[in-house]
Amino acid sequence: MNKLIVSPAPHLYKGESVSRIMWMVVASLIPAGVAGIFIFGPSALSVIITAVISALAAELILQVATKRKITVFDGSAVITGLLLAYNLPAHVPLWLPVIGSFFSIAIGKQVFGGLGQNIFNPALVGRVFLMASWPKYMTVFTQPLNYDAIAQATPLAALKEGKIIEHITYLDLFLGKRGGCIGEVCILALLIGAGFLLIRGYISWQIPFTYIITTGVFTYIFAGKGLFAGDWLFHILSGGLILGAFFMATDYVTSPLTTKGQIVFGIGCGLLTAIIRLWGGYPEGVSYAILMMNAATPIIDRFTKNRVYGSR
Amino acid sequence: MKKLLSEFFKGIIKENPTFVLALGLCPTLAVSVSVINGIGMGVAATFVLLGSNMIIALIKNFIPARIRIPCYIVVIATFVTIAELAMKAYSPILDRALGIYVPLIVVNCIVLGRAEAYACKNSLVNSFMDGLGMGVGFTLALILISGIREFLGAGTILGHTVVKGFEPVFVMGMPSGALLLIGLLLGFFNLAKRRN
Amino acid sequence: MDLGQFLAIFISAVFIYNVILSRFLGLCSFIAISKETKPALAMSLAVMFVITMSSMLTWFIYRFLLIPFNLTYLRTISFILVIATFVQLVEMVIRKIAPAMYRFFGIYLPLITVNCAVLGVAVLNIDMFFINGKAVQGSFYYSAFQGVCVGLGYTLAMLLMSGIRERLELCNVPKAMKDFPLGFVIAAILSLSFMGFNGFKF
Repeated sequence: MNKLIVSPAPHLYKGESVSRIMWMVVASLIPAGVAGIFIFGPSALSVIITAVISALAAELILQVATKRKITVFDGSAVITGLLLAYNLPAHVPLWLPVIGSFFSIAIGKQVFGGLGQNIFNPALVGRVFLMASWPKYMTVFTQPLNYDAIAQATPLAALKEGKIIEHITYLDLFLGKRGGCIGEVCILALLIGAGFLLIRGYISWQIPFTYIITTGVFTYIFAGKGLFAGDWLFHILSGGLILGAFFMATDYVTSPLTTKGQIVFGIGCGLLTAIIRLWGGYPEGVSYAILMMNAATPIIDRFTKNRVYGSR
Repeated sequence: MKKLLSEFFKGIIKENPTFVLALGLCPTLAVSVSVINGIGMGVAATFVLLGSNMIIALIKNFIPARIRIPCYIVVIATFVTIAELAMKAYSPILDRALGIYVPLIVVNCIVLGRAEAYACKNSLVNSFMDGLGMGVGFTLALILISGIREFLGAGTILGHTVVKGFEPVFVMGMPSGALLLIGLLLGFFNLAKRRN
Repeated sequence: MDLGQFLAIFISAVFIYNVILSRFLGLCSFIAISKETKPALAMSLAVMFVITMSSMLTWFIYRFLLIPFNLTYLRTISFILVIATFVQLVEMVIRKIAPAMYRFFGIYLPLITVNCAVLGVAVLNIDMFFINGKAVQGSFYYSAFQGVCVGLGYTLAMLLMSGIRERLELCNVPKAMKDFPLGFVIAAILSLSFMGFNGFKF
């Protein structure tokens, strides 16, 4: 078994184990989850718990079935389950997160050989699968702070249907008073978690910042009537952009290794997200954009490889 | 007689064109949205296979080796055109559902593959049995795949609802569902092969 | 002829109805030659060239031979012969004139004759740009452009796939899923993510 990835020096040793980093990411995701439960009520909690437990179960079952080392508690399956739940509306039937988690773990991760070998972000693989399979559950959102479960479109969906968005201020968007998926609505909570990860150095700034800035600039130029009149702040604050940029696009395994590559990755994600939002059939493009750039990551890595010292 | 039967049956399991030889996957994936489409494609391909195998077995001694592939293609294309016209005349709905994949039987690797690998070296009767076996194997594989896809993707088999209250997995009716299913099925057959 | 139509052809041929991921044309070569980036790229260039040229050739055949003489039922047979002859010709010419180029992608040319993408696009052009046996305005340009775009879509899918599979060489993939099966699963995920472009309009 000579499956060793060799990259040129310098090699830094950080004294961190993979599983410790994973649990830190889990911790950083907690504020957004708490906010989601607060905003959408207990059904959000049951979706989150279901998704996490089924992700763990799927990991265990598949590792036993393929006779591999059991690594259920390294935290990665928990992250997948959490992220999947955060990308679901709060009132989906509970079999949806179960199937989604199984799909994420099986097709998104174990098929490729497990942790660290997957090409695509597992949670997003699960999400687009659910989106393609049961769109009627995936696109019905409930109004925040209103437990009567009135179906309401997300701000982006309303925009797509050409409705004028009233009563939504930037503060509402920032605090999460809007329709949307469980974990994406409260920007404040997401930023708290993201700040923690950034300060501790678990994620680098390149991908999230280039991603968000590109989306902002592109929507500023093209989203309005005429050029350079788009509501860029609205586009940054709505949808799953913040969640995607900080927590899903930054996944170590599925994003490029070098700084240059990460910047290309971020810009690519930003462009694709904005293009899908503005002209695509779906109101939101974050998951598709990140998946497409995941697919391009090996190619990006190939062209942005660090030069081996002394070679041309 | 026993030899003939084995020529026929090898195409169904041991050398199944779809699952074992992994040939002709393009039409398999494209038309397998519903069982009726799968059967239509299977029958059309079987017809072409039978025809081309027989004709090539008959004229194999007259074809110069250097231009044999173009000759095979002309023979195959003739039968495909017959199938195309017949389908247009007798089943326009099926013709529309199968679309460009009917003319594309010409470049279906199964047909050309059997011509090159079998019919040009064997007798008329053997080639007939080989073509029939391969065609039936292809059709059965199509029925299996389209059955799974139609059941999961629309909750029906041949247009009849099977299980009440089943929430169809829409993606199975889409191209990505087809790719996923064939990937998993090939993996499953690999597994079965290694167990034996 | 208008610009919007060209843009629509581009988006639909490259992303929405990607020749491999959505129409399943050229799947055999896609799975067989996408193990490494370099050959995959060479194959893609060869395919792009042949598809574009054959789109134009078959347009002429259809418009100036088959329609006037009422022979449209010979479409399949004439197209496949034209494509096979053309590919053979290109192969001979390249081998003679540019041996270096021949070594780079000439070896893939014979494979292209039976690549269903080539015939598929030729037939598709006829289906899309001829209405009731009459060429629509600008259909020649649309056909040629569709050929280029389908080639681009093929190249994109090949490039992504070969990059991914090169990386997977290092991975501990379950034995039963190695190669073909995993290739299809990856193609499925690619196809799922390309669905983001569904319903694209300006």
